[in-house]
Amino acid sequence: MERLIETLKEPVQLSPDFDARVLAAVERVAEDAHRTRSVTSIAGWLRGRTIRLSPLGASGLAAAIVAAVLIGSSIVDREAAPAPPRPAAAGDQVQMTQFVLVAPEARSVAVVGDFNDWNLSATPLVREAGDGMWWITLPLSPGRYRYAFVVDGTTWQSDPDAPAAEDEFGRPSSVVSIGGA
Amino acid sequence: MRRVLAGDTRAYARLVERYRDRLARYAVRMLGDLADAEDVVQETFLRGFRSLERCRPDGFGRWLFGILVNRCRTHAAQRSRRRELVVNNEAAVANASVERAEPQEWQQAIEWALEQLSPDQREAFLLKHVEDLSYDEMEQLTGARVPALKMRVFRAREELRRLLMETVRG
Repeated sequence: MERLIETLKEPVQLSPDFDARVLAAVERVAEDAHRTRSVTSIAGWLRGRTIRLSPLGASGLAAAIVAAVLIGSSIVDREAAPAPPRPAAAGDQVQMTQFVLVAPEARSVAVVGDFNDWNLSATPLVREAGDGMWWITLPLSPGRYRYAFVVDGTTWQSDPDAPAAEDEFGRPSSVVSIGGA
Repeated sequence: MRRVLAGDTRAYARLVERYRDRLARYAVRMLGDLADAEDVVQETFLRGFRSLERCRPDGFGRWLFGILVNRCRTHAAQRSRRRELVVNNEAAVANASVERAEPQEWQQAIEWALEQLSPDQREAFLLKHVEDLSYDEMEQLTGARVPALKMRVFRAREELRRLLMETVRG
């Protein structure tokens, strides 16, 4: 038994490029977080402000927003993320909330929950290129939300990294609290 | 950690370097496959990075290891098909001997024997005897109670002893 344990304690040899792969992935996450913070700060700046525009100014602003959205879409190097299921109401303290599931063999993953009326097709997750991670970031208002992942349109799965929630139908689900709710 | 939190993501390399070997060893022993282990360790470092702000500086290593233990459980559960063993079990076991095994054969026999344990037993055995955790620490990591953990470790030891002795007699 001692020899067995001694053998198991020996270090293992990882791929030579392991550190580089991890750090490249960390850089991508940091860039995503930076973009999210930028969007949040713009939203925060806009919140509570009344903007008065002339008709000409309004059409100019609309054109600028369309251009910004198009530019933003081209910057993001993933498939186009779906629209949030329910826009937060004006004045809400919205928190960008990321849902992540590792499912390398899945063909599709969606998140369903209180925030999208448990609609199977409303909120598909985006697959990270090169690995089995699926994710989406949603703006959620303060509150307590029950949710679950649906893999390949049929298999319900709770979030392994979140507290479990009671589900009246006996399906696995999880709970997330936003804003200390 | 302070440098990373200040926006210097390259400083995270130091944390990866410091904790990588321990995480990799546990993941490889637990999952029995190097590629799977690398995936899980990478996920662990990413999750650690995403949640760095919530972690106490003096507890980063322990906290990261807790993420890894959970990721290994999830990963194992998500494998819908039983993976092919990395080693040729029959040949490895037939050729291995506890007393005089060549290092590679001995290594393969151990991998095979670990694979025969239930995931709970394998997890408990590795945490206790390879990671040298106390039962209280194991309880915090796994959520299982101490008596259950002691029983898992005991059964894992007995099973490993039996499997490896069989290889000698065989």
